[in-house]
Amino acid sequence: MKKVLALVLTTVMLAGSMILAGGCSGTDTKATTEGTTTGGAETTAAGGAETTAASGDVLKVGILYISPKDDGGYSQAHAEGMAEAVAALGDKIQVFELENIDDTDAQATSAAIDNLVNEGCTLIFTTSYGYMEPTAAAAEKYPDVKFCHCSGYTRNDTNLDTYFGQIESARYLAGIVAGLTTKTNKLGYVAAFPIPECIRGINAYTLGAKSVNPDVTVSVVWTNTWFDMDAEKAAAESLLATGVDVMAQHQDSPAAITAAESAGAYAIGYDLTYAGAPKAYLTAPLWNWGTYYTYKIQQVLDGQWKVENYWGGMKEGVVKLDTLSSLVPDAAKTAVEAVQKDVTEQGNAYVFKGPIKDQTGAVKVKEGESLSYDDQMSMMWFVDGVIGEIPTT
Amino acid sequence: MSETTTPVSEFAFSMKGISKTFGSVAANEEIDFEVRKGEIHALLGENGSGKSTLMNILSGIYQPDSGTVFVGGERKVFHSPKDSIQCGIGMVYQHFMLAEPLTAAENISVSTGGFFVHHKKESAAIRAFSEKYGMEIDPDKLTNQLSVSEKQTVEILKVLYRGARILVLDEPTAVLTPQEIRALFRVLRKMRDGGCSIVFISHKLNEVMELCDRVTVLRKGRSIETCDIKDIDAYELVEKMVGRKVDLSINRPIPKEDCKECLRIESLSLRDPDGYVKVNAASFTLNHGEILGVAGLAGSGQKELCEAIAGIAPVESGRIIFEGNDIAGKSPREIIRMGVSMSFIPEDRLGMGLVASMDITENILLKDYSFQPGVFLKTAPVREKAERIVKELEISTPGVHHPVRKLSGGNIQKVILGREIHLSPKLLITAYAVRGLDINSSYTIYNLLNEQKMKDVAILYIGEDLDVLLELCDRIMVLCAGEVTGIVDARSTTKEEIGQMMSGTRYEELKGGVDYVSNH
Amino acid sequence: MFQITKRDELPTWQGVLIRIGSILAGVLLASFIIAILGFDPVKTFAALIGGSFGSSSALINTVTIAIPLAITALGLAIAFRMKFWNIGGEGQIIMGCVFATFVSHNMPASTPGVVLILLMGVAGFLGGAIWALIPGLFRVYLRTNETLFTLMMNYIALCIVQYLHFVLWRDPAAKGFPKIKAIQEQAHLPMLFGVHIGFIVAIVLGVLVFLLIRKTKLGFEIRVVGESAPTANYAGINVRQVMLTGVILSGGIVGLAGMVKLAGAVYTLSPSITGNAGFTAIVIAWLSNLSAPIMLVVSVLIAALEQGSQVIQIKLNVPSAVAAVIQGLILMSALGGEFFLRYRIVRRKREQSKSQKGDA
Repeated sequence: MKKVLALVLTTVMLAGSMILAGGCSGTDTKATTEGTTTGGAETTAAGGAETTAASGDVLKVGILYISPKDDGGYSQAHAEGMAEAVAALGDKIQVFELENIDDTDAQATSAAIDNLVNEGCTLIFTTSYGYMEPTAAAAEKYPDVKFCHCSGYTRNDTNLDTYFGQIESARYLAGIVAGLTTKTNKLGYVAAFPIPECIRGINAYTLGAKSVNPDVTVSVVWTNTWFDMDAEKAAAESLLATGVDVMAQHQDSPAAITAAESAGAYAIGYDLTYAGAPKAYLTAPLWNWGTYYTYKIQQVLDGQWKVENYWGGMKEGVVKLDTLSSLVPDAAKTAVEAVQKDVTEQGNAYVFKGPIKDQTGAVKVKEGESLSYDDQMSMMWFVDGVIGEIPTT
Repeated sequence: MSETTTPVSEFAFSMKGISKTFGSVAANEEIDFEVRKGEIHALLGENGSGKSTLMNILSGIYQPDSGTVFVGGERKVFHSPKDSIQCGIGMVYQHFMLAEPLTAAENISVSTGGFFVHHKKESAAIRAFSEKYGMEIDPDKLTNQLSVSEKQTVEILKVLYRGARILVLDEPTAVLTPQEIRALFRVLRKMRDGGCSIVFISHKLNEVMELCDRVTVLRKGRSIETCDIKDIDAYELVEKMVGRKVDLSINRPIPKEDCKECLRIESLSLRDPDGYVKVNAASFTLNHGEILGVAGLAGSGQKELCEAIAGIAPVESGRIIFEGNDIAGKSPREIIRMGVSMSFIPEDRLGMGLVASMDITENILLKDYSFQPGVFLKTAPVREKAERIVKELEISTPGVHHPVRKLSGGNIQKVILGREIHLSPKLLITAYAVRGLDINSSYTIYNLLNEQKMKDVAILYIGEDLDVLLELCDRIMVLCAGEVTGIVDARSTTKEEIGQMMSGTRYEELKGGVDYVSNH
Repeated sequence: MFQITKRDELPTWQGVLIRIGSILAGVLLASFIIAILGFDPVKTFAALIGGSFGSSSALINTVTIAIPLAITALGLAIAFRMKFWNIGGEGQIIMGCVFATFVSHNMPASTPGVVLILLMGVAGFLGGAIWALIPGLFRVYLRTNETLFTLMMNYIALCIVQYLHFVLWRDPAAKGFPKIKAIQEQAHLPMLFGVHIGFIVAIVLGVLVFLLIRKTKLGFEIRVVGESAPTANYAGINVRQVMLTGVILSGGIVGLAGMVKLAGAVYTLSPSITGNAGFTAIVIAWLSNLSAPIMLVVSVLIAALEQGSQVIQIKLNVPSAVAAVIQGLILMSALGGEFFLRYRIVRRKREQSKSQKGDA
């Protein structure tokens, strides 16, 4: 009896699978015109967009995210930026997104790029540092496809360039807020990896804080993660336990903010506004990638593609400081306003203007000079006031 | 005879029309089994005849597909062992179920339920209770210090103490010496005279004839016969169990005169991995063309002795001289190559000697492949050999590529023995070769062994059934707790003698002097 | 009440049917979930299948993903045959890559590619073999539990590669970014039909492992040891020696899988080089019943799920989490099918608390 039932079931399912297989032949090249809209609208677009897709005028744009595009952090900032570009450029472009692609898995990254190229994408953004080498390899493999890699340094002469932003300007302002909010003069900072990008951020934040409160120190803990709620929460808690009363972070999860709220401390976010901790959230250095993506895609649409090293700042609008929350004391608001114009105008040049001493007290940037771009990109030392270590070779 | 007409039944319990199938196998078919009050009733049958299933139904472990159980004339449905126990039915299994760290009394009183334990009171009550049935037991002894027979006594007491009036004993004598068996029988008779009913399951017909009042024979899941013991003899019983006439005598050829010594063990001692001494200063010799039987209670060092000769277990001291060479310390493979073969049938049959999931050919290959040259396996010649063995030993199997796991116990044992014999060994060690086999298969194996003996093979036969040892072997060595308590001529010794040696009495003490049976 | 009982062996065709049926059940289950989430199941599966097999470039991606999975599964299966539960695939892959990278970094740039690749292959094998041999020795001589031991070895290997990545082998030319220098260019595996020749390595290893297990004395011994160590001992097999040889082969092949991925697709050692192949391969090995040819096929199917799930993200904008759910459901159903192949569920009238004795 049971065997008969099993047989019937299998037959039904076999038949079902044949119907499935039959249905697969025709639906290959349909995709959505507005790929970035989240939710369930895309199924309807699949059939109707056929004519525009076939016209050839549409630029197919691909983008890789390291985490889910609704991660509430880094990837979401990129995804929202791309959505802004779609809104601005309308049906001239069609966007294909791949999320949650591990940036340390070169094989997965290459496969993802292959899949995007296969889909017809001719402009591909890879949004994480770790994508650099597979992106470079793909640029060589697909000379007709243009690649823009975020946060790296490898460019070629034809179809591979880089983009990033002077987020440190915003971090500097965030440092000012923290420096005037803290009561214990102990600031905490949980950061992902001991790499120049993070070190730059910590230094900018510290310089900002010390510019208004020379007694302040910034304690750093590395988590070696970009998005790991548990690890990042634990790291933040370890700092909060030492009397830190303002947390800052350089990872993409909101764990540090929520940890600060539970401990009754304040927190500076990152990437996006965080509404989940009204008793802790002061502000955050934010990315506003829509400006860049609209600019870059328009450049390609205009046939004006050029290899560049895009490094926009507050002036361009790629980075900004979030609106200060009601928790921020007036003194801090005033202090931020006081330098806002200069920081916006000069960007990181203002932030890393000498004199700057390192942890040992040695002068790294002389009075009247500013840290060069290359030195910023390879920054592997902490400024005076940071408590923490950079593991060295 | 239904419950409504005779509420007070002459039967302690009766099982009517019991059927139970497992998958496609009918374990019980329309079995009727009735046991009177105050009798010892033997339940006989070969392995697979349905005894265990029937008893599991009686104890509530299985529910029958059809049929009814009456206890004291009342119809009962057992949903679980608890229901059966409440009806006064008690099971004493072959494998004891005692909590080792507790005392005997605690083990006994645990089964009566209740939350609190009153040690002194319980202990005294149990002592009185046991004396009533003539059982000797110290209730305050820890279970792990009890001997095997004492443990069995505790098991029986446990069941009686919680008020069981119906006892089922599953092969209770398998673990006992002849003296202990006699003591057990005394107790059982006393219980019967006190009105208890006892179901006695055994393979040993002489015990059944001696102890029981009535007997029921099962065969292939059906009840064949129920009658008074005095109306039947052992030959008829065997016939009913097997279903045809069987010659119960084992042919024993006289060993040739001028046989050379094959194996000499000189004060061999060894320990198990946990450090317990398992064989202690054992010495004996074994000639070509001779069967040396080894008798002893289970766990007296038989396994370790075999393993030491085969090179599997490390020797602590002493020498193992095979055809003039000391083989102690040589690897199993070297020993195999010298012509020593061992077939050891453990309790689970497949634990050592065979690979359950492999087919017959591959299992025969197990002993052959190392003789093959090169890196690759050659299965073709072994397949032929497998086919020959299957044919010669009448192994019933769909083919030589049938996994041995799916063969019946007898056929599995034939595969092992066939393989070992076909290596043309000079020394064949065989342990428990007929364990669990039906009578017919057993005789096939005895004949095979005799054939080997006539081919000048030296055979070390580790046995369980004293009657078989006495009939098959030329000499019998008795082991007790790892020591050789005596070596006797199988043609002139008695079961009594062997029994005493099994329980530790040395042959010298028995005879009041040094009188070892010399070699032929 | 229901009770789970072991089932007699089924005829082959029934086994195949149950397997196919269970995968289809997974597809069906996934379809419901896809539909509930507002996507079209037919389109989704069409895109999944088309995206993994539908074009040559899709096929190339699928095969590239399958290669390390297949080789790892082949290696692990040797250990599983011996009932040596090698859960240390991750660590063995990493150590294979570490050794291979070490060779590449330390050979002169003038080394011919063939020589370099062969040396790296040997090094990769050695790396994996050593990483498996350590728990192997403990198991054989000290009766340590190898499941836990090999698992722990994964974390040690991960720590080692993190240390190399961030500190010891950190490429100074990377402008402070932590990364290990890529392997030499001539050490990249050559391409054939658009795929690196690792696929040939996988096929050859598949044949070799099959021959080893089925046709050689060592393979026979490995099977006997796995079934019953006492029997092996009794048959004169040196159990320790066979087990250690098997463990070395197992770990070595897994290490080689790492080297192949490194030299064929990734080129740079990083802490995430395994892509979880060490764990996925365990599933592959068991789904394939440890049979080498089937492992090759199953690896491609699992890789197709991986590749196809990217394509459905691109084509239908299905979130990656949903794609992961689809993968998981299909895998789970396939594994569930294995359960029903071995056991069946029997209905009982009442619970049986004690079944001390089996039936006659």
